[in-house]
Amino acid sequence: MNCLKRVSEKISRRKFLVTSISAGVLGIIIGAAGAWLAKPEVVAERTVTREVTKTTTVTTTVTSTVTGVVPPPTTTPAVGFDPVTQRAIDGVKALIASGKAKPGDTIRILHVAGSRANLEKAIELWEKYVTKDIKIELITLGQEPDVYTKAMQEAVTKAGTFDAVTIFSTWLGDIVESGLARPIDDFFSKYDPGYTGDIAPIEPLGSYTTIYKGKRYALNFDSDVFTLSYRKDLINDPKLKDQFRSQYGRELKVPDTWEELIPMAEFFTKLNLVAPSGGRVWGAYFYAEPRFAAYITWLNIFIEAGGILFDLKNMDPKIDGKEGKYAFDVMLRLKPYMPPEAITAAWADLYDKFVKGETVFTAAWPSLSKEAHRPTSAVKDIAGSAVLPGVEVEIAGRKEIVKAAPNPVNWVAVVSNYAKNPELTYLFFQFATSPDIGKEVILTGVILDLFRKCWFTDPKYRSAFEEGYGAEFLDAYMQSLALSFPDLILRGGPEYAAKLTVNVNAVMAGTKDPETALSDTAADWDSITKKYGVDSQLEAWKSLAELYPEQVKKAWKAKGYM
Amino acid sequence: MGGNRLSTKPPKLVSLLANLPVNILLYVTLIVPFILMIYLAFLAWNPAAGYEWWQAPLAGLSNFARAFSDARFITALGRTVLFTLVVVMIEFSLGLVLAYLLLEEFKGKRAVLSIIIYPLMLPWVVVALIFYLLFQDYGPVNNLFLKALIGDAATQMHWFLSPTTAFVTLLIADIWQWTPFMFLILYSGLSAVSKRLIEAAQVLGASSRTIFWRIQLPLIRPLIIIALVLRALEAFKVFDIAYVMTGGGPGTSTETLSLYIYRVAIEYHDISYAAALSLIILVILVIVIRVFIWYSFERR
Amino acid sequence: MSIITRAIKYIFIGFCLLWVLIPVAWIVCLAFKPYPEWRVAYFLPKDPTLSNFVILFEPKQIIGMMGATAIVDPVTRPFINSIIVVGFSTIIAVFAGFFTAYGASRYNTPGPFSLFFTLLTRMLPPATFVTPIMVYYSNLKLLDTHLGLILLYAAVTVTYGIWILKGFIDNVPREWEEAALLEGATHSQVIFKVTLPLVKSGLVVAGLFIFLLNWAELLFALVLTNVNAVTLPVHISKYVGAVGQLYGPQAALGIISSLIPLIIGYIIQKHLVAAFTFGMVR
Repeated sequence: MNCLKRVSEKISRRKFLVTSISAGVLGIIIGAAGAWLAKPEVVAERTVTREVTKTTTVTTTVTSTVTGVVPPPTTTPAVGFDPVTQRAIDGVKALIASGKAKPGDTIRILHVAGSRANLEKAIELWEKYVTKDIKIELITLGQEPDVYTKAMQEAVTKAGTFDAVTIFSTWLGDIVESGLARPIDDFFSKYDPGYTGDIAPIEPLGSYTTIYKGKRYALNFDSDVFTLSYRKDLINDPKLKDQFRSQYGRELKVPDTWEELIPMAEFFTKLNLVAPSGGRVWGAYFYAEPRFAAYITWLNIFIEAGGILFDLKNMDPKIDGKEGKYAFDVMLRLKPYMPPEAITAAWADLYDKFVKGETVFTAAWPSLSKEAHRPTSAVKDIAGSAVLPGVEVEIAGRKEIVKAAPNPVNWVAVVSNYAKNPELTYLFFQFATSPDIGKEVILTGVILDLFRKCWFTDPKYRSAFEEGYGAEFLDAYMQSLALSFPDLILRGGPEYAAKLTVNVNAVMAGTKDPETALSDTAADWDSITKKYGVDSQLEAWKSLAELYPEQVKKAWKAKGYM
Repeated sequence: MGGNRLSTKPPKLVSLLANLPVNILLYVTLIVPFILMIYLAFLAWNPAAGYEWWQAPLAGLSNFARAFSDARFITALGRTVLFTLVVVMIEFSLGLVLAYLLLEEFKGKRAVLSIIIYPLMLPWVVVALIFYLLFQDYGPVNNLFLKALIGDAATQMHWFLSPTTAFVTLLIADIWQWTPFMFLILYSGLSAVSKRLIEAAQVLGASSRTIFWRIQLPLIRPLIIIALVLRALEAFKVFDIAYVMTGGGPGTSTETLSLYIYRVAIEYHDISYAAALSLIILVILVIVIRVFIWYSFERR
Repeated sequence: MSIITRAIKYIFIGFCLLWVLIPVAWIVCLAFKPYPEWRVAYFLPKDPTLSNFVILFEPKQIIGMMGATAIVDPVTRPFINSIIVVGFSTIIAVFAGFFTAYGASRYNTPGPFSLFFTLLTRMLPPATFVTPIMVYYSNLKLLDTHLGLILLYAAVTVTYGIWILKGFIDNVPREWEEAALLEGATHSQVIFKVTLPLVKSGLVVAGLFIFLLNWAELLFALVLTNVNAVTLPVHISKYVGAVGQLYGPQAALGIISSLIPLIIGYIIQKHLVAAFTFGMVR
C-alpha cells in the first residue's frame, strides 16, 4: 500500500514539475508571440495604405507613418537649390555611386517628440530630392531629459542604437567628453554647410552652438534666443501713457533697461486690469521656477551687467560679485509684480498667461511669439516683440546700455562616433539645415526656429518666415540673435545650470538670501569643476568665452575680466 | 507570529518551487546590476569623465564621506523620513477605519469598493498632475473650495510658495493615492478571518467592537506589519508627486530623497555618488526594518 | 447598531467617496477640456471637446491644440505592450511569490539572504539602478524587448507576492495540512488543493497590487525601451508640446489606462469578499 502511494507521489511530483516548467515556457512563448504579432511592420503597412492621398513620409519600421494633416502651405523649394543643399545632394549621390552608401542603409536619429513634425518634413524632402534608397528612422522620446539620458547611456553602452542625436547645445560638453560626439571639422571642410557669408547662421550663435574646445561637433538646427514680449495695446494706450507719465515722470514705452521696466511693471500690476480671459493682469512674468528655468532670468541680467561666469585664468566662479547681486536685486524688485506662478509653476505657465493676456511684459523662446499669434490666442493682434532690456554699464568712462539675450537650450545635431556611416548621417543634417530645405523644416513645426541670416534678409526667404512669425518679431529676433550669448556649454553644463536654478528659486521664494545663494552656488560650481578637472574645464571655458557677443566682451575687457 | 514553522526539512517539491522561480528572477535579472551598482559606489566616475567605468580608479570611501557632509542629502533624508512617518500613520488609520466600516454587507457595497480603490489605478504621473493643477493659484482649491469656506482670503494662499504648505500638498496627494492600498490589505485580511471564530465569539456574547479589536486585529497582525513595512518602503521612495507638483521647490525644501538621487544620477550624471547615496539609504533601511521586525515578531 | 452610529458610518463613507471623487471628477473634466481651459479653477468645461481622445488614436499633427507638435504614435501599441508585459510579470510574480511564501512560512526556504534581497529590491531608489541595469541588459540583448521588461517587473515586484502571501499563509493552520497529509495527500496536492484556495484573497490582493505597481511603472520602462516594448506610462510622458505637458491628452490617456485595472478590480472583487468554508478539502 505504502510503496504504491510513494510511487504515485513520485509520479505526480514529476508531473507537477513538468507541467509547471512547461507552463512557464509556454507563457514565455505566448508572450513573445504576442510581441511578434504586435510588431510595427503590420502597423506601418496598414497606415501606409491609409495615407495614399497624402504626401509620403517616413518609411520607418518602428513608427507609424505620419503626415501633417494640414496641407503644408509650403512653397516648394526652387529646383535650383542653394549651394549648400546642392553639395549635400551631390555628396550623397557620390557616396552611393562609390559604394560607400548602399541602398537599404538606414540612418537612425534619436530626437524629442516635439521635433517630429520637422524631421518628418526633412525626410519627405530627402526622399523627394536626394534618394529613396536611404531610409531615415526616427527614435522618438517624449521629454528632453530622456534624450539626454539615452544619449549618455549610449555613450556608456556603445550599442549603436542610433547614428545621430539632436541635443540641446547645453549638453554638448557632456556629449563630447563622453566620447559620443564625432568631431565634424573634416565634413565641414569637405562639404561646407554654409557657415560663412550671408547664408551663415547669425554670429555669434552659429559658432557657439557648434564649437567645443575649438572643434566643430554639431550642426546648428535651431535657435532659442529670448525676446521681450509685451502687450502692445497697453503700452500704446494714450490714456495709460498719460497716467504713467504723471505718476512716474517718464514715458511709457518699450523699456531699454531693467530699471525702466520695473516701474512699468509696478504701474500695470497696481492697475489691477482684467485680461481678455477674465483673469487679472500682472505687470511682468519672468522665469524663476525651480525645475529648470530660473537661471535664465538671472543669467540674462548678470551677463548684461558685465558679469563673467568663471575667471579666465583659474576657473574660479565669479558669480558672487556685484553683478550677481545686482541680478538678484532686479529680480526681487520685480517679484511683487509677478504672479506667484513665476516662482512655483512649470515653464509652460508663462506661455499660458501671456497668451491669455494676463501678462504685460514677459520673455521666453520664439515659440511664445508663435503661440501668441495663433487665431485662438487672446493677444493675437496685440502681442509685440522687442529686444530684451539691458543694463547700464560704465565702459571706458562712458555709460553704455549693454543688451544681451540668453539662448538656453537650442537644438543641434550631433553625429555619433558609433554611427554606421557618419558621412552619410552628416549629409542628412547638412541637407536638413541648409538654406532652402532648412526653411521648409523650420516652418513645418513649432519647436525649431530660424537662424540663418539670409532667412531674415533675403526677400526670397523672408516672406515665408514673415507669414509664420510676423515682421515685428523677425526684426527684433534678428537683432537678438546678434546679441545672444551661449548657454553653459561646458562639461557638466546641465549640472551647473541646475545648481544655479535651485538657488535662484530659493531666493525668489524667500527661503534664502542672495549672498548665501550666490556663495552656495559658487561652492557647488567649484566642486563640479574640480570633479571634471580644472584644466579641462578651463580649456573649454576659454574657448567658449571667446564666442560671446562683442558688446559683452567689451564690458569684460573694461572690467578687467578678459 | 511568523508562520507555523516545521523544523523538518522541506520536501523536494516544495524546496524546488519555493527556490527556483524566485531565484531565477532575482539572480538572473537583478544581482549583476546590483553588484555593479555597489562597485560604482566605490569609484569616482561619471559618463562624461572621458574614460570607461572599468578603467576608472577606485575612490575608496570618498563618495560616502562626501554624503555625510552633503547638507542637501541630509535634509532630504530627514524630510523623507518625516513624510513617510506622517503618511503611513494617516493612511493606516484611515484604511483601518474604512476597512472596519465596510466589513458588513450593504447595498451598493461593490460600487463603493470600486470607487474607494480607484486612486490606485490611475498612473502616478497623472495623479501628480491632477494635484498640481488643483493646488495652483489659479486652481479650484483656492478659488472654489477655500473661497467657499473663508471667502476672499483664500486667494492669498499660495500653496507651492511656502515650504510648509508645499509639503502639505505632497502629503495630501500621497494620502489620496495610497490610502486604498492600506484599506485593501486590511480589508482582505479582516474578511479572511474565519467566520467560525467570529460566530463562536458572538455566541459567547462578544460585541462586534470586541470582536474587532480582540480577535480580528490580532489575528491579522502579521499582515498589518507587512502592510506597514511595504507601504513605508514605497513612501520612502516618493518621487512622482515631488517632481511634478513642486519640482522640489521652493528652492529644495520639498526635495525628497528619491528626487535628489534622481537629479544626481540623471541630471548631474554623477552615477558613482548616486550609487553611494543609495547604498547609504539601503543600509539605514535595512537596520531600521530589522529592528522593527525584531520588535514586532520576536519579542515574546 | 444604533441609528446614530449607522448615520455616522454612512456620513463618513460619504465623505470618503467625495474625497476620492473630487480629483477624479477633475481629471475626467480635464480630459474633455481644450488647451485654454486646462489651467482654470472650474470643473466643467465651457467648451467641451473630444480632441484629447482623438489625438490618442490619430497620429496626426494636432495643430488645433495650442503649440502641440508632438506627433506620437497611436496608443494602441503601447496599450497592448503594457497588457502583455504587466500581465505576464504579474502572473509570474504572484505564483513565484506564492511558492516562496509557502516555503518561507512552513519551512525555512529559500534562505534568509534571498528573502532579504527581495525586500532590498523595494528599498532601492530606481534612479541609481537604471544605468547598471541598462548596461547589463544591453549586453544580454534584452534591451527594448518584452521579455526583458517582464523579467525585470516580476523580479522587482515578487517581494509583494512573497510578503503579502506569507501573511495569509501564516493564518492557515498547519494542522489542516498535516491532516491532509495524513489522509494520504501528496505535498503538491496539499499546496494546490488545501493552502492555495484558502489564501485566494491573498492571491487576489497581491496580484492586484503587483499589477498596479507594474502598470504605473515609468522609469525602467523609459530607459529600457525604445520603440518595440514601449509601455503606457512611457507613452503618456510623450504628450508634450511646445507649450509643455499636454494635460488634456495625458488626462484622457490616464483615464483609459485606469480602466484596465478597474475592470480587473471589479471582477476579482468577489474573491475578496468570499467567505471560504471549512472542510471543503478532504
